Amino acid sequence: MKVTIKRWNAVAAWRWDMPEDDVCGICRNPYDSTCSKCKYPGDQCPLLMGDCNHSFHMHCIYAWVQQEASQERCPMCRQGM
Amino acid sequence: MDIQVLDDNPLYKGETYRLKFRFSKQYPIEAPEVVFVQDPTHPIPLHPHVYSNGYICLDLLDRAGWSPVQNVESVCMSLQSMLTGNSKGERPPGDEEFVRRNKLRPRDVTWLFHDNTV
Repeated sequence: MKVTIKRWNAVAAWRWDMPEDDVCGICRNPYDSTCSKCKYPGDQCPLLMGDCNHSFHMHCIYAWVQQEASQERCPMCRQGM
Repeated sequence: MDIQVLDDNPLYKGETYRLKFRFSKQYPIEAPEVVFVQDPTHPIPLHPHVYSNGYICLDLLDRAGWSPVQNVESVCMSLQSMLTGNSKGERPPGDEEFVRRNKLRPRDVTWLFHDNTV
């Protein structure tokens, strides 16, 4: 039997390469979800990892390091980010 | 939020304390404002860092000591631990004067953290 494919829709799933059901320590949303301000996860709302290996949504950690009180330190371990 | 001290510290045994949390729009980037509130069944715990109006002098609630990974649970646990570790049944020095004169909200008070022993 010969089949001719006329049309097809590709579907893909993705997730960040992070431990499953882990959450951003700042906004408490899953890494695979967005920060509290974004609507779409993924490249629109990426993750950022410090030298200390602690990760956050980029928007969450930006909001923190822009605070003078943060001294640009990691909220988890207080090392320089 | 109500907290209790669950060990046998005689200063706090059998009592329940009520905390009021006030969150700004910037929370958790900014610390919440946390005070003890008093009513007929909830006293203000006796502690050298807790004023009789419920104001709390604790570095992690201040701008310089706050971290956005803290939350209501971790703040409550820090307060429980602050109470548990205390053996002095007294108010901070200058308590009466402070409570009488202070008109600032807790977040606007300039706290000095000079005592790391309790």
